[in-house]
Amino acid sequence: MPVLLRRLVHLLVVLFFVTLFVALLTSMLPGDPVDAIAGFASEEQKDVLRQDLGLNDPLPVQYGRWISSFVTGDLGNYYSVSGGRPVMDRVTDSLPVSLQLMVYAQVLALVIAIPAGVVTAYRAGSRGDKAANATAFGMLAIPNFALALVLAYYVGVELRWLPVSGYVPPGEDLGEHVRRMIMPAISLAVGQIAVYMRLLRSDMIATLQEDFITMAKAKGVSPRRILWRHALRPSSLTLLTVAGLNIGTLIGGAIIVEVIFSLPGIGTLLYEAISARQYIALQSLVAIIAVGYVLVNFLVDVLYAVLDPRIRHART
Amino acid sequence: MPGKRPRGLGVPRATRGRGFKRVAAMAVLALAVTACGGGGDDGGGGGASSDEDAGTPTPGGKVIYGLEAETTDGWCLPEAQLAISGIMVTQAMYDTLTRPNAEGEMEPWLAESVEPNEDSSVWTIKLRDGVTFHDGSELTAEVVKNNLDAYRGAYPARSPQLFIFVFQPIESVEVVDPLTVQVNLSQPWVSFDATLHSSGRLGMLAQAQLDDATSCAEQPIGTGPFKFSDWVPNQKLTAERNPDYWATDAAGEQLPYLDEIEFRPIVEEEQRRNALESGEINAMHTSIADTVDEVRTLSEAGEVNDYEPDEFGEVTYLMMNESKPPFDNIKARQALAHAFDFEEANAILNAGIVTQATGPFAPGNIGHLDDSGFPTFDLDEATRLVDEYESETGKDLEFTYSAVNAAATIKQAQLVKEQAEAAGMTVEIVTVDQSTLIDGAISGDFEAQGWRNHPGGDPDLQYNWWKSGSPVNFNKFEDPEIDRLLDEGRTTAEGRDEIYEELNRRFAEEIHNVWLWYTVWSVATAPEVHGVPGEGPTSEDPFPGIASGHPVGYMWVEQ
Amino acid sequence: MPAHDADLGTAEPAATLLPTAADDAGGADPGTVASRGARRRKLGVSGYLAMGWLVFVTLAALLAPILPLDDPDENVAAIVNQGPGTDGHLLGGDSLGRDLLSRMVWGARASLLLGASSVLFGLVVGGLLGLSAGYFRGRADTVLTGAFDVLLSFPQLILALTLVTVFASGEGTSATRRMVVLILALGVVSIPVLARITRANTMAWSEREFVLAARAMGAKDRQIMFGEVLPNVLPAMFSIALLGVAVVIVAEGGLSLLGVGVQPPTPSWGNILAEGRAELRDAPHIVLIPTIVIFLTVLALNYLGDVVRARFDVRESAL
Repeated sequence: MPVLLRRLVHLLVVLFFVTLFVALLTSMLPGDPVDAIAGFASEEQKDVLRQDLGLNDPLPVQYGRWISSFVTGDLGNYYSVSGGRPVMDRVTDSLPVSLQLMVYAQVLALVIAIPAGVVTAYRAGSRGDKAANATAFGMLAIPNFALALVLAYYVGVELRWLPVSGYVPPGEDLGEHVRRMIMPAISLAVGQIAVYMRLLRSDMIATLQEDFITMAKAKGVSPRRILWRHALRPSSLTLLTVAGLNIGTLIGGAIIVEVIFSLPGIGTLLYEAISARQYIALQSLVAIIAVGYVLVNFLVDVLYAVLDPRIRHART
Repeated sequence: MPGKRPRGLGVPRATRGRGFKRVAAMAVLALAVTACGGGGDDGGGGGASSDEDAGTPTPGGKVIYGLEAETTDGWCLPEAQLAISGIMVTQAMYDTLTRPNAEGEMEPWLAESVEPNEDSSVWTIKLRDGVTFHDGSELTAEVVKNNLDAYRGAYPARSPQLFIFVFQPIESVEVVDPLTVQVNLSQPWVSFDATLHSSGRLGMLAQAQLDDATSCAEQPIGTGPFKFSDWVPNQKLTAERNPDYWATDAAGEQLPYLDEIEFRPIVEEEQRRNALESGEINAMHTSIADTVDEVRTLSEAGEVNDYEPDEFGEVTYLMMNESKPPFDNIKARQALAHAFDFEEANAILNAGIVTQATGPFAPGNIGHLDDSGFPTFDLDEATRLVDEYESETGKDLEFTYSAVNAAATIKQAQLVKEQAEAAGMTVEIVTVDQSTLIDGAISGDFEAQGWRNHPGGDPDLQYNWWKSGSPVNFNKFEDPEIDRLLDEGRTTAEGRDEIYEELNRRFAEEIHNVWLWYTVWSVATAPEVHGVPGEGPTSEDPFPGIASGHPVGYMWVEQ
Repeated sequence: MPAHDADLGTAEPAATLLPTAADDAGGADPGTVASRGARRRKLGVSGYLAMGWLVFVTLAALLAPILPLDDPDENVAAIVNQGPGTDGHLLGGDSLGRDLLSRMVWGARASLLLGASSVLFGLVVGGLLGLSAGYFRGRADTVLTGAFDVLLSFPQLILALTLVTVFASGEGTSATRRMVVLILALGVVSIPVLARITRANTMAWSEREFVLAARAMGAKDRQIMFGEVLPNVLPAMFSIALLGVAVVIVAEGGLSLLGVGVQPPTPSWGNILAEGRAELRDAPHIVLIPTIVIFLTVLALNYLGDVVRARFDVRESAL
């Protein structure tokens, strides 16, 4: 498909500029990375270090060097006089934590939003529906970090039901893992629930007015079947698209939630890299996040174009 | 650059900077607010421990110790810049050649003896026989020589930075026999044995780790009570019992008692506290006054054991840059000193539990003075000095105060600003991250910063912080009196108390730093966890100070 | 309601897909284009409440210097971490013994200033760019959309965090500089979204007959763009602007928690909340009060934004 090819090229161009932009920004960070890792060394020693780390090379050369290893999966090393650890090592430790958090948040949000959306669509206009909508609207206004802090306080500190910090891998102790991820996941999910619920509801209402639904009703199909079997599928297209695209919001929100609950994820890693002036690590981390986000967007677009014939045809 | 290690930073001695002693406080400055020593109401001398009669240690069990920070740079000790959290971990896996006793004097620890010659310019270190590292290799004079060379920048595989300056007076290190090392100095150095401890930083590494070009920072191999097991940065570091550990307790029992120790960095005070109370961790340290206060309450209720010494602490202070205005003018420094309202700061920032510092040496340390002549709170005097400064220089007395982005330091900065402005100064707070703060300190690109440093031990350990021209004399002052006293203290065995007291008074006269209060450190453990701060090198009585950590080999859990 | 604008090729941000609050108020009926346009709804009770709150908060912020408030920087040991009602302090004291009510009012100045300025900046720049892209199409459009895509590839918070760290975290950063950088950074971060929406609306309006007619009559592009198209696009932009202010207020809170928000001791709702985080156990009100205020403000802004959009939204006709 020529369209797909065009989109692919567009994607690559965007990715190139994204990495360029990241490299440019990190090069402008205040402070000297050599000072950060070898602050007490003499000027000569620092020059040697700068040379070794390639910091004296012109920016395009540094960029070229970084991007060529980046695309092969080598994210560079942390600067350290003791032989820096590969960034990839830290990423493989941290990425699962963040991904788990985002997945749990999404799943939680969908698990609540889908039934809520379906039911409120069915009972559109009723009091229950209005109440649900008002609640959803309210949930949208809660900043996720505020919710995280409030939860941490009431559930963690006052009631002591759940721990408020730290992370345990699921392989090690599934129970503890879940206990530590519940509040962070809820903090991230709440805002999404509202969005998804109202989106689905709106789509479902439109779908429920379509002819094929009327037909099914006439044929005597039960309301439940109609809702869940016939109406839900076409209506969920938008929802799934938005869920995919929301990854971006989730990533941003995840950083703060990670910091609040001390989860050692990508957000913490990013924050650490900024504080420690670890340029290469910072560059690679931001690039990974951005690239990941772009790819997800791209995949969602492709998926949508494939699934929704209306778009495919409208493109002419 | 994948895998490539920078070429050696060890350049010929001629080009190295002036020597200095201590590494201290690189990351310590991240939390420059705390309170210190509860003013002696804990019955004098030694620490306040609620755990005096714990009984006989039982073997087995695990301690999970909550630390205030992670040591992201890792465990390549000659190159590392450890703060207290790093030192705690080091204490688990490494041993130092010497260690302080209950009075703060150095005694041999990993070494069997550490003896100076007549004028303390040659030191002979005899090692214990039969000690092995965790990888099975033997502790020999050769390895110790390589360690010392590594710390001082004379070992090609390693590139230290701070320690190069610390060990500048070393001319050579020789192997005399398989268990004896001789260190030849370029001048007398009476407290060289204290530097061999360096507050617990100078652990002896196995040859394999010294030579490890790529993962020296991630594969620690020492002789210590615990053997490294696993490290996930920002999550935990675990070490398991070393069954071949060479040390015993005073009763002759094999150390350590624990099966395993785990360190968890929990930066947020509240979270660390919660973790202890909910049982997620069973030991922690803290230097934040609110937490210390809480711990006291819990201890009284029998819910935790706490150890809170009032000796050998460290000091929290405002560091001023004397190489540029306004603090190049002594009137500005005096004004700031007089503007500091300790009572208010104590009440608001420190839950009322700290004592005011009038000098760099906390109670218990050599050189401590209850009253050094340091300016007291006097707002009128401060205002008068500000006016004098302004008429003298024709400029307003304004400065920036750099504070690290942490809750406690920012609070302190805001209070200091309020107090300084009450006297007519103008203060701008700049919140920066750690790298920037250190950067600024090194390059002299700051005006005032909040710091915490100079923990207890031999005062000569502070040499390089105050010597003219030293790279870590961040204040950039050149005080010939202080230089003289520092050198005297380093080379004279007698009368050191007087020397350092004079130094203290000189600081009070010149106001190179505005001393605020003595930091309080506290270690809290679950009721069934004991053994803090453990024992001394040759007796049951331990060195009471914990401002730079404490040994963990003596910790035990009631079974 | 398809998520994609066929011409954009990628989905609109979720915010614009939301069924509006106005829909809900009147009963759920997405309706047709015609019926939407025809719905000239009056501002209900909720609407007046929302406006009332916003007016209240804005007035408080504007009048802060002349209101009978305590000094927001003065430390009173007696009220450190004390809850609302202590000693005549309506909202209690913060961790440094400063009157919380006073700090919240002065904080409103910083937060609202930040919100309004950055959105204004984003609107002006993003609006112009979007207008040009949507009106001129062709290569200009491709380049601009590409640029927006690059900016949009970054999760907004990360981009803002990086920008503020790069430009306002060195040793010499003054409070003013930090504020300016925050405004610009948050503005820059919002440009792609604002530009996209302006573009979509511009394209929709540019197809209309009166525009074609104007062009046929020889009117210059600039006249048409600013004279004919812009006035019609403005209402949609205004709606997004309201939502944008809400987003910025929340974002400042997030950035404060990460240490790069409005620089203390200047209060903002975000940094009061961030400072309160360390005192959650002893003084939860320091976190709760800004949370409630931010919540109400965001709620009000969202509601009004939706109401405005319901009135003027013409996105349907883009298809």
